[in-house]
Amino acid sequence: MIEFHEFLVAILRSGTPLIYAALAGVIVHRSGVWHLGLEGIMIIGACVTIIGIVLTNSFIIAILSAIIICIIVSILQWFVIEKLKANQIIVGLGITGIGIGGTAFAVESIFGSLAAISAPFGIPRIGDTFGPYSGLSVLVFIMPFAVFSLWVLLLRSRFGLRLAAAGEHPFAARSVGANPSIMRLIAFCVGGLFCALAGAELAAGSLQIFAQNMVAGRGFMGFAAVIFGGGHPVGSAFAAMFFSIVSVVGIRMQIHFGNFVSHDLLLCLPYIATVLGIWITARAKGRTNSASQISELRVQ
Amino acid sequence: MNEKIEIIIRPLAFILLATILCGIIFEIAGFSAILMFNSILDGAFLGSRSLEKSLRWALPLFITAVGVGISFRCGFFNIGAQGQFYMGSVCAVYVTEYMSGVNAVIVIPLGMIAGMTGGALWSLWPGYLKIRYGVDEVITTLMSNFIAGLILVYVTSGPLKDQSGSGQQASTKILPSELRISDASGVSLTIILITIGVGITGWLLVNRTSFGTLSSLAGRNPTMLKYQGGKIWQLGLASFIISGMLAGLSGSIELFGPSGRVVSGFLPTHGFTAILVALVASYAVIGTAFSALFFGGLFSAALFLPIFTGLPTSAIDLFNAIIALLITARITLGTNFLRNRWSHPHD
Repeated sequence: MIEFHEFLVAILRSGTPLIYAALAGVIVHRSGVWHLGLEGIMIIGACVTIIGIVLTNSFIIAILSAIIICIIVSILQWFVIEKLKANQIIVGLGITGIGIGGTAFAVESIFGSLAAISAPFGIPRIGDTFGPYSGLSVLVFIMPFAVFSLWVLLLRSRFGLRLAAAGEHPFAARSVGANPSIMRLIAFCVGGLFCALAGAELAAGSLQIFAQNMVAGRGFMGFAAVIFGGGHPVGSAFAAMFFSIVSVVGIRMQIHFGNFVSHDLLLCLPYIATVLGIWITARAKGRTNSASQISELRVQ
Repeated sequence: MNEKIEIIIRPLAFILLATILCGIIFEIAGFSAILMFNSILDGAFLGSRSLEKSLRWALPLFITAVGVGISFRCGFFNIGAQGQFYMGSVCAVYVTEYMSGVNAVIVIPLGMIAGMTGGALWSLWPGYLKIRYGVDEVITTLMSNFIAGLILVYVTSGPLKDQSGSGQQASTKILPSELRISDASGVSLTIILITIGVGITGWLLVNRTSFGTLSSLAGRNPTMLKYQGGKIWQLGLASFIISGMLAGLSGSIELFGPSGRVVSGFLPTHGFTAILVALVASYAVIGTAFSALFFGGLFSAALFLPIFTGLPTSAIDLFNAIIALLITARITLGTNFLRNRWSHPHD
């Protein structure tokens, strides 16, 4: 039983950042844009949280500045995609590059070296009353509520339906007085908020450390969870949970089968699960819906 | 405006814009932007022997970027160049391991063929999933990069680990000097000839064959091509294979040439930069040569930045990323910006 609790704690720890990233992807996906910048905005959130804690010694200031900076970067992404009409996939990769390069640049110019930074404390824990789960951060505790409220927002509110209309049929959205461009801006801002939480949970949830390139594809995995979950908040959260279960099982297998299979090959498991996940989606739906602007890249 | 001039001016304008943005960021961070750009220019192109150092990075970038361009031109976002590059070098290093003692004239071509095969196979599975099942290639190729990176770590720290290594970075054994086609400077007649060969073949393929014409049609308007009886799956699969082959080739050149061994996680930004090179050149082969030289120069300057200006190497990554952010923007020098104010996007 204790082992089961440990297993669940490990899944929640590795799954929560993925789920927040997937939520950010979901809301942007429903507004009609592929959010491939998740990875970059997440690492910015992680970096700002840790640097904020180290410099100001206050968790509140750190997380607030992470949220603000992530929202600013999201607005930048929205501006380039929406106003400058750039290709969303390349822009997403560019934002990822800005996240990885920019955080390395910031860390090196503030602290003078690329070594990992560790913070004296992280996100507040939920406390001893929860027994084996007491080491989890508050953000893990908030996560189900975040999923639920995003579900309400996207599928049970006027705003959510307009947002979906802006993504699927911009003309229809405009005819009821919703400006698709503004809807996308709001979606990107909410996405920035969730990315900041994802990054904060990843860096300050259990480790309290920021290392170069620590996101390691989790943002892209969160994006794949959006596709696997069909753009539905709850489905995508479960898809993200599935990827994290696979990675935790991989880590467990290292303990039991570490002598037979290489440690590095077991680390591949979540990535392989991601490929399998979107393959299953494609088989179920006929095909995954490609980004709408894919052929526009040629027209320059 | 004349279309040909615009193809040249557009990327230059965006690179200039990115330079200005970067300069502002560096000034805010407390570095001297002017000093930095001076030292980039000096380190990349103007200083003594700096052109040779830039070529060392530009040649493999060019080979990979020609492949990336061929697949983008066909409308397939094969962003797995990094993984295909790694798999190419891994396959080539296995050939040298199993054929140790055999004449170099046999081993080197075989190693390169193995590298090309490895890269092609590594790009084939996302291509197959895309064409057979419609699985989006953006995610599969991204994931294939991470998997290839881990396979590289496994190979360099497991079966082919150099036991005498310092343990800092896992790597394979350094190849004996007769198996090297260049010294550490990375510029030799063999590599230049291979690169020119790839350039000429790529140019002929894109501009003088039916494959080139059809694949650029497939990228622009797949529906039309489908109704005219074109087989998009053939073009797509071929473009995936070619881009994988070229990325794998540059992986094996990296092994036989400048590196002489395979290090875990080497050249981590090669694939991303190659995508950028192809985008800046708008997939034209001749343009790719120039933009590869530009980004190769940036890369070689990046290595000297910390010494001369105190700027971290990551400054160049940031610069590249800002170029990537802007390069596909479709405002054409003023006129369209006004027009867009009155038209509604996404209809």
